[in-house]
Amino acid sequence: MNQMGYSFTIESRKEVSGEDLGLLKEKILQLNWGVQHPASGPMRLKVWIDGDVVVKVDPDIGYVLRLLEKLVEYRTWINAIVNVERACFMDDFGTMVGYSIAAEKIAGVEVPKKADYVRVILAEGGRIVSHLIGLGSFVGVMGVHTAMQWALIAREKFLDAFETLSGQRIATSSIVPGGVRYEPTGKFVEKMVEAVDFLEKEFIPRYEEAFIDNPTLKLRSVGVGVVTKEKAVELGMAGPPLRASGVESDIRKDYPYAAYGDFKFKVVTKSEGDCYARYLVLWEEIQESAKIIRQAIEGLPEGDYRVKFPVKLPPGEAYVNVEWARGAFGFHLVSDGGTGPYRLRMRAPSFCNLWAIPEIMKGVKLADVPVIFSSLYMCHGDIDR
Amino acid sequence: MEAWIKALFFPGFFFLLITFLMVFYLERKVLASVHLRIGPFYVGKWGILQTTADVFKLFQKEFVIQRRANKLLYSLIPFVAFVMVSILLTFIPFSKNLYVVSTSFDLLIFLAIITSMPPIFFYAGWASKSKYSFIGGLRVVNQMISGEIPLWLSALSAAIFYGTLNHVSMVERSSFWSFIFLIPAFFIFMTAALIVTDRPPFDIPEAEQEVVYGFMTEFGGFNYAILSVAKLIEVFALFSLATVLFLGGFKGPFLPGVVWFLLKVAALYLFAFILRASTPRIRMDQLLGFCWKVLTPLALLNLVFVILLKMFLF
Repeated sequence: MNQMGYSFTIESRKEVSGEDLGLLKEKILQLNWGVQHPASGPMRLKVWIDGDVVVKVDPDIGYVLRLLEKLVEYRTWINAIVNVERACFMDDFGTMVGYSIAAEKIAGVEVPKKADYVRVILAEGGRIVSHLIGLGSFVGVMGVHTAMQWALIAREKFLDAFETLSGQRIATSSIVPGGVRYEPTGKFVEKMVEAVDFLEKEFIPRYEEAFIDNPTLKLRSVGVGVVTKEKAVELGMAGPPLRASGVESDIRKDYPYAAYGDFKFKVVTKSEGDCYARYLVLWEEIQESAKIIRQAIEGLPEGDYRVKFPVKLPPGEAYVNVEWARGAFGFHLVSDGGTGPYRLRMRAPSFCNLWAIPEIMKGVKLADVPVIFSSLYMCHGDIDR
Repeated sequence: MEAWIKALFFPGFFFLLITFLMVFYLERKVLASVHLRIGPFYVGKWGILQTTADVFKLFQKEFVIQRRANKLLYSLIPFVAFVMVSILLTFIPFSKNLYVVSTSFDLLIFLAIITSMPPIFFYAGWASKSKYSFIGGLRVVNQMISGEIPLWLSALSAAIFYGTLNHVSMVERSSFWSFIFLIPAFFIFMTAALIVTDRPPFDIPEAEQEVVYGFMTEFGGFNYAILSVAKLIEVFALFSLATVLFLGGFKGPFLPGVVWFLLKVAALYLFAFILRASTPRIRMDQLLGFCWKVLTPLALLNLVFVILLKMFLF
């Protein structure tokens, strides 16, 4: 068909039989686990199955590519945080802390101690909020939505606290180079304590009774998707999945930034490396984060919460790693002496964990695909950026 | 009452319709309270008309048949499934005289129809010509065949105990001791009933996160409504059968028989809802192992136990 100089080919309608679907002709069937699928999120896994056994998996990403790294180049130093925090909406504070520290390194600005403490409170709040969704969605892929609902109730209290601070519940833009953007008022601290109280006194006992040591949950997840310590290092995994394989890696402990050097907490590790271990790592990290928030609120110093940040920065570059909810997040920031970043490169942990999937998912059952996928605790916004 | 009035109104069609809307509503409310939510609230008093609105929305929808589908089977299967499971309910005695038909082979016919359901659901998956539907259909056949053997064995053990296949006389012969002796059979029957009707935690054929919606993936609108109502009726029929066989059917003090019957069925439903809210789904190979290695031998042992009871005690 020719129209306006273009030629179109109209596909003829034909009866499609089972053979065309690969049902009868070949033993191996390709399933598209994704893009529009109840559990995949905006990405696609091409899954080849032989009966009920997965032969090969090929991830197909790029459905939520927003060019965040490029967009940062059109912003000023402070404006850029709105792009940085959108790497993943679940924990936006970790990324803002990393970017701000990198910008401060180039500028040579020292932030006040109070700002450091508030950054820790917010970053740990963000980690709890993110881990709660991780727990809920892990149980959710096995057909039980109770865990997610309970987690969302606990999450709601933290979002209330963030709203008191910044006026926004999710994209708060509250951490800027030079400190924090809003004054941490008494009301905010009060709400944060309330949220931590709810988490420790109501959510944790209730959840522990139902979904930790749940026999059916263990039946599904113990021994599934095992990654050994050596394999985890070789694949370059990050964050909770890495710690679940027995590697004690935590930027907060290894290279303390912000005020993390002042607090006592332990790095949660498990040696099994299976789905259940990754789930338990999330569960125990929530409790550690709650302890850090309590310590930070007790020791919150007086003084300024923000210092003046210059409009133009000297040429230079900085690389900063922060322990984000999903693992080590790296920022390589370059300045050419202008009013905004010349180049920002973000090293995302979910992207590293994603490429463990083809290795782990060889020879598992089809029903294990969503379980392993959700246990790797990835964020789609963070994979594509 | 004449039989056709019963078939149309009381234990029949309209009663069914109202029961399902209420069961559906109850499921959402119970799940919501486990989730610490409110659940349906705005439509009608306490949201009681929400499910009605949902079902009528489905009825208004366009009748879409996808291009690849086998048109005849695709449009016919939901109705066949609906009619087949509706037949089940004609054999259920809701009270002493309230049943549509009563024969001397009630239990046998009931179980035979339950056994003939898997091909219907498999055709539903096959006729849609979609990969997910096809896998869902295969899973239904696998699962139901493994579940039906313990179902038959445990139901027949009750029939052996009472010495009859007629539902009404079964209920009349039941007593406190029959309840006690049939408790193992009751548990096996309930587990098998959950497997056969693929209720959570055995909802493997419809596992949303794996195969989208199993054999119902391609169905929409009216067809979907009829097919899912057929599945709900199957659950209701099996729970009613459990009440008749093991819980003394319509027997009970003070209240009329129908109320007792529905209360007992509601208790079984509550058990199923709580199980759904707290137990993750298991895997196909785990389910097959459980059915063939645990449930079927237990059902056989139970049958031996009932036969011995019959030989020496009664």
